[in-house]
Amino acid sequence: MERHAAERHAPVSRWGCTNVIDNGLLVQMLIGALLGVSVYLPLAAGQLSLATPAFYAVGGTLAALLSTRWAALGAGADGSFPLPSFLLELLLAGALAGLLALLVGRLVLRLQGIYLAIATIALVEIVRVAILNLPFTGGAIGIFAIPQPFATASGYLVPALALLALAGWGCQRLEGMPLGRAMAAIRDDELAARCMGIDTTATRLSAFVLSAVLAGSTGALAAHFLNTWNARQGSFDASITTLAFVILGGSRSWLGPVVGGLLLTALPELLRPVGDVRLVLFGLVILLGPVFFPRGLITPGLLERIGGRRQEAPR
Amino acid sequence: MQTLLNGAAAGGVYALVALGYTLVFSVLGVINFAQGALFSLGGYLTFLLMGGRISANGGLPGWGLPLALPFAPALLLAAMGAALASLLVERLAFAPLRQRNAEPLLSLITSLGAGLVLVNLLQLLMGAEGYAFPAGTLTGLPAAISLGGARIRSVQVLLLVICAAAVLLLTLWLERSRGGRALRAVAEDPTTARLLGIDSDAMVRLAFLLSGALAGLGGGLVGVSVSLPGPYFGIGYGLKGLAVLVLGGLGSVPGAIAGGLLMGLAEALVPADASGWRDALAFAILFAVLLLRPSGLLGRRLVEKV
Repeated sequence: MERHAAERHAPVSRWGCTNVIDNGLLVQMLIGALLGVSVYLPLAAGQLSLATPAFYAVGGTLAALLSTRWAALGAGADGSFPLPSFLLELLLAGALAGLLALLVGRLVLRLQGIYLAIATIALVEIVRVAILNLPFTGGAIGIFAIPQPFATASGYLVPALALLALAGWGCQRLEGMPLGRAMAAIRDDELAARCMGIDTTATRLSAFVLSAVLAGSTGALAAHFLNTWNARQGSFDASITTLAFVILGGSRSWLGPVVGGLLLTALPELLRPVGDVRLVLFGLVILLGPVFFPRGLITPGLLERIGGRRQEAPR
Repeated sequence: MQTLLNGAAAGGVYALVALGYTLVFSVLGVINFAQGALFSLGGYLTFLLMGGRISANGGLPGWGLPLALPFAPALLLAAMGAALASLLVERLAFAPLRQRNAEPLLSLITSLGAGLVLVNLLQLLMGAEGYAFPAGTLTGLPAAISLGGARIRSVQVLLLVICAAAVLLLTLWLERSRGGRALRAVAEDPTTARLLGIDSDAMVRLAFLLSGALAGLGGGLVGVSVSLPGPYFGIGYGLKGLAVLVLGGLGSVPGAIAGGLLMGLAEALVPADASGWRDALAFAILFAVLLLRPSGLLGRRLVEKV
């Protein structure tokens, strides 16, 4: 199991996370939440896509390459990096991932259900092997000494939070927009949606591209935060772990994957005191979670009780 | 010659894994992501049963079973062990969801959870390092035999023969026996099968038992012919098996066999200087096939339900 271990930052203390801000655990959790939202978006249109780690890896690799190879971005000899260049990279990584999703999506979105899921796993594996073998991505070691736009790990909290806020705001807005309504209609019944005159292909593609853009930008952020980047960042394990963020958090609202991503990213770190058993326990949580919370932790009913606002009738 | 044999041997193992997926998929319509972990388990069990000792980084340093079986019984027992573990996976990861009529999607997560628990338990107990089977494991078998002027590793021949035998037995059993017919009836239509007096839950358990045994067999065979590079090695084979499964067509037994052989041969033909790309080949083929023929090479056409 690959964890996005931030080895560079101060090691987590013996008691887990007495200082979650300085050691960067909070940033890792936010990255998890962002990836959860990225998996949630196609799922909100009824598409089980596990391609998020592929786009995350593409975005991260682009950022790692640009900041270490392209002098015009202004990486300092002391490992510093100008903030505007960092933001530019987030945009470029999102754009590249989105473009890739547009190309791939046209092909794979003809597939349905489990076929789509497996095709996207294939995409993740192809991207992983490509990053491992391309002559300029550093092979198994990867790209290291990625320059830092922030002096401390906690500096990354601001862009991570901003990105998550943007994603959440976007998802919330989407619910009221024609695209979001079309996605919900396809999720409930694709055939009926097509009969209603919804362009299902375009809608599914849009959800796929949005998901990829978010994953790409998140990858760029993670590459700087982690300081090193290699092919292991996007693997089959990550596909299922990010899906678990959504399933355990709840797939009916964007808050579900956020909560799932935060909790499940923190869990292996919080379990660090128990030593090597922690990955076994993490597996147990993934095994038993869906049994006890088949609809996830965040359900429409729960949101209604907390917020007191009317949700659309839960199914 | 050696290349073709290597390819066929690897293909045989892929076919075993894919058949395991196929059995479960045909009765439940879901994919058991714990298959790769069961593959690892089979390899480690074979290693232990043949008298292998755990090295110091595991939770049980220097521990070993007080027996050293010959290869054949060790492999059989390991396959049985993996079959029992597979039954446990069904009990923990699949049965509770079926009882609650939960979304089938959830079983992807729970089965992967079960696989994670298994692999990490192996890592905890046995350590992350690789193990090689001791030399002379296959007593009475020469290391290489020459055939038509070419020297080929005999262990590969053995692997191929065992794979072929397992696949043949399974196919015969599915086609001819009462149990096999009942299993196919449940795969065809669980409700009708139940009306005809077939215990579909028992058939589901049987499918898991068989698929676990196939995975365990594959793990043991690969362990002997190559080595055990660490508890995660089965996951890679599990993924390849998934590619083979779709390549041949979900739920199709001949498809899984043909797909496995095709994939193994294709990988063996990758030139040595591009060997780093070999792992992507299976998925590139899969990708191409999915786009040209979404139901796989030998799969049934999907009927769109209205």
